[in-house]
Amino acid sequence: MKRFPFFLTLLTAGLALLSSCTDVVDVELPEPEPLLAVEGNITDQPGPYTIRLTKTGPYFQDQEPPVVRGAELVLSANDGTTETLRETAPGVYQTRQLQGKIGQHYVLSIKAEGQHYRAATEIKRIPGIDGLSQQYKQNEPGWDNGIYAFYNGPELPGAGDYYRFKIFLNGELQNDPDDLVVRDDALVDGRYIGGIELNSEPLQPGDSVRVQLLSLPQDYYYFLNEMFTQINNVGLFSSPPANVRSNVVNVDPAGPKAVGYFAGTAVRSARLTIQ
Amino acid sequence: MKNSTSWALTAGLLLAAGPAWSQTAPAAPAALSGTLRDAATGEALVGASVFVKALGQGTSTDENGFYRLVLPKGTHTVTYQILGFEPQQVTLTLAGDMTRSVKLGAQRQQTREVVVTGLRAEDNVKKPEMSVNRLDMKTVKLMPALLGEVDVVRSIQLLPGVTTVGEGASGFNVRGGGIDQNLILMDEMPVYNVSHLFGFFSAFNPDAVQDMTLYKGAIPARYGGRLSSLLDVKMRDGRQAERLTVNGGVGLISSRLAVEAPLIKDRTSISLAGRRSYGDLFLKLIPEQRKNQAYFYDLNVKVNHRFSAKDQLTLTGYRGRDVFNFADVFKNDWGNMGASARWTHQFSPRLFGSASAVVAQYDYGLGVPNGTQAFDWTSKIRNYTGKADFSYQLGANNTLAAGVSGTRYHFEPATVKALSAESIFRGLKVDDQQAGEYAAYLDNEQTLGPRLQLQYGLRVSVYDFLGSGTAISDYVGETGQRKTPVNTRTYQDGERIKRYANLEPRASARYTLDLNSSLKASYTRTAQYVHLISNTTAASPLDVWSPSTNNIRPERGNQVALGYFRNFHDNAYEASVEVFGKTMDNQVDYVNGANTLLNKDLEGELLYGQGRAYGAEFFVKKSQGKLSGWVSYTLSRSERQIDGINRDQWYPNKYDKTHSLNVVGMYQLGPRLTASASFAYGTGVATTFPNGRFVYEGLVVPVVSGDARNNYRVPAYHRLDLGATLKNRPRPDRRWQSEWVFSVYNAYSRRNPYGIYFRQNEDNPRKTEAVRLAVFGSVIPSVSYNFNF
Repeated sequence: MKRFPFFLTLLTAGLALLSSCTDVVDVELPEPEPLLAVEGNITDQPGPYTIRLTKTGPYFQDQEPPVVRGAELVLSANDGTTETLRETAPGVYQTRQLQGKIGQHYVLSIKAEGQHYRAATEIKRIPGIDGLSQQYKQNEPGWDNGIYAFYNGPELPGAGDYYRFKIFLNGELQNDPDDLVVRDDALVDGRYIGGIELNSEPLQPGDSVRVQLLSLPQDYYYFLNEMFTQINNVGLFSSPPANVRSNVVNVDPAGPKAVGYFAGTAVRSARLTIQ
Repeated sequence: MKNSTSWALTAGLLLAAGPAWSQTAPAAPAALSGTLRDAATGEALVGASVFVKALGQGTSTDENGFYRLVLPKGTHTVTYQILGFEPQQVTLTLAGDMTRSVKLGAQRQQTREVVVTGLRAEDNVKKPEMSVNRLDMKTVKLMPALLGEVDVVRSIQLLPGVTTVGEGASGFNVRGGGIDQNLILMDEMPVYNVSHLFGFFSAFNPDAVQDMTLYKGAIPARYGGRLSSLLDVKMRDGRQAERLTVNGGVGLISSRLAVEAPLIKDRTSISLAGRRSYGDLFLKLIPEQRKNQAYFYDLNVKVNHRFSAKDQLTLTGYRGRDVFNFADVFKNDWGNMGASARWTHQFSPRLFGSASAVVAQYDYGLGVPNGTQAFDWTSKIRNYTGKADFSYQLGANNTLAAGVSGTRYHFEPATVKALSAESIFRGLKVDDQQAGEYAAYLDNEQTLGPRLQLQYGLRVSVYDFLGSGTAISDYVGETGQRKTPVNTRTYQDGERIKRYANLEPRASARYTLDLNSSLKASYTRTAQYVHLISNTTAASPLDVWSPSTNNIRPERGNQVALGYFRNFHDNAYEASVEVFGKTMDNQVDYVNGANTLLNKDLEGELLYGQGRAYGAEFFVKKSQGKLSGWVSYTLSRSERQIDGINRDQWYPNKYDKTHSLNVVGMYQLGPRLTASASFAYGTGVATTFPNGRFVYEGLVVPVVSGDARNNYRVPAYHRLDLGATLKNRPRPDRRWQSEWVFSVYNAYSRRNPYGIYFRQNEDNPRKTEAVRLAVFGSVIPSVSYNFNF
């Protein structure tokens, strides 16, 4: 999967031939004003669904961000169902009954620290995964010798589908900044997505590989895409640093803004144990 | 008897009065014209001075070595001179229009070699033109070079008013303008991408270039289509009178070979030059790397044919390309190509005309040849241009120039094809686009008395965005956000969708204060109809040019400049101070996270706004003697205001540099050895620093308070380069001459930051850090060997 995007990445790699170098420097930054940060999903899988509320902190502060307690969160679907979330741990809010469904639109209302925010999303359609396969690569250009796992599954006809692929190796989510893989179907609409490698380093027999395919609303795709750009933004061809979008909107346009995202996704997954 | 005496006296008086009368009422002057050539090689001498000292009248030769001087009838002593050659004085009697061509012999070797911008030293003060810098290749070749690659664009970056976003970045910024606002002409072919290897080297083979002229303002009405500057690169035409000449060189990065030869003596000449990098040849020595390729090359050819003293035909061709192939896994290549034919005709000593046909193209391809992800992606911009230019000497005080041009553009933004049946790719085509750009101009250089000279003109440009049988849309939505297409409709191939027209007045004036100093002022209005769509710090080879459309409006610029020009020590030193102010509208920018490639609705992701720049440039240049070089200092600001960025407030451009200082020096240590040094200092580029963060699904996301843009500066940039050229001892019995060129780039090994970036620590994802990226982190020495015979 990592090789799939690599148009510009390879261009940048060409520059590694030259003697460029990076080093960590000290930079003084002004104190930011703390903003509400939202992280949460509703899926087509059984709940509970979890929303985490925290506050933004200074860029170089590496402690846990302060949580936002005592907020009032109400999640409503366009079929009329509504549920008030419970704070099950400090800053962690969960549903009990609500079941996410493909095609439903959802609005999350957040009342916290005197401000009222709303976030709208939906759960989009998703294709199934036919399964994962493995193959031994030997002396093939561009590959180290060894075993690789591959994704196989259809893509739905009709452009406008957006996906995120989460890859778990031996149960652990691959979650470095450049592991955030989001794609649109503009180039692959309705094609069979077969033989896409999921690992860049060879696997061993006994290793387990799991893929989660998430369908994304368009705006959430833009959010994750902008996030990918901003957290991998180094080098000659870097983009202008800018704030990543959010769907969490303060009802009072003059009030403080929020960051983060409340997203609806459908989820399919597949697993393979390397033989 | 008495009568005859009286007649004789009257005739004598009339004769005596004659010249005086013709001077005050210049109705019956005559034109002296001709061509200046190098006596040894027959090459045209560009920018040589031709003047009559007694009258204080003079001119200089044009790009063909041609000059015209309107003088009163009578006997004059005309001086022909250019730096590096023995001046010649010719006394002639002008009874009517006449032609006199002159060949100048070279001065002694060492004086000739060290020529810093040796063109028209006194023009600095005497011509109405301003905001112009000329460099000849002899100078550029003596300057220290990165990895031994003599580089046109890097030398341009040492001139006042020119900046860059960083070393290794493609192109250059002139007086606060974008890199796509420079009209870069190689002979008459536009060059869309001036870079090899992403921007580390420029697309001009130094052995093929004669000289270059950068117009930062007061752009002549003859040129248009870009907002900020004209870089006119003249290629060698090898007008050899004598024999076959071969130039070559071996460097760390590339090797060069150039041949110049007469095909038919005094009539036809050819210049051929090639350059290829060969890093990938070493890759072949490593078994695993054998299938990899990474190289660039350029080929230049120019043929000149003189049908007669009055008719001349020049054919020019160029192709340059970068090629990357990673085994059978991935390939990418890009480059410019172009061809031009130019016919020049002298209708009379006063009327001179030329007609040209030009085709130029930039394209790239990239793809994966095999496997389930096999695809092939191509993109292209091509233009066809036809133009005619005339100049006419009207009386003694007016030189008129007029011309027309027409350009047809074809844009193929992206075509992606799946290469195998099992490929996951469906293929995608971003619709082709077409446009036409037409212009006519009239320009006059007028002398008003001994002190005042004016150049004024008007360029009228008309632009048509044309249909290609494809659908186009309008875009609606909230400013600052991605917009959605509406009102989608289809236009026939060639049908006009939208027309724009612009009047572009240009004017400059020179007022002479005394023999060595003058004041100049200029106003320039420019329009630009094609735009480089690039949302990264440095432009990438994959960036696509877009026409102006029903949504993207033409960019327009206005610039005013004032200057004081003074030469010292008999023109040995040229100095100038210029201040300029500039506004630019319809500037193109991008929504956050814009996708500029493979995007059918690209126009929905563009933002528009305005730009402004102002500054002062100080320049001193020494052209003669053992020590030559220049010092330039620029104090300036370049900002933009885009609806949807930085809360709609003005912010500095990435390439805004408050202070920029450049010192270039060359010193002739002996008949064989020349040393050189250059020093550059500049305020750090503007950049955006985040100050907050939040964690989303385990990843740390930066937050910029108040949506600020370019709110910080990276530390200042400074660099010293050293160079030396050692000529091998010439052997009288052999024509072979050779030299070693040594250079040390970044001599005190400064890690100049290209940028400062913010990221998660690789080992501890919760920890965040600021990282400085230096493109060159150490001293870069190099040696190259050049020869000619």
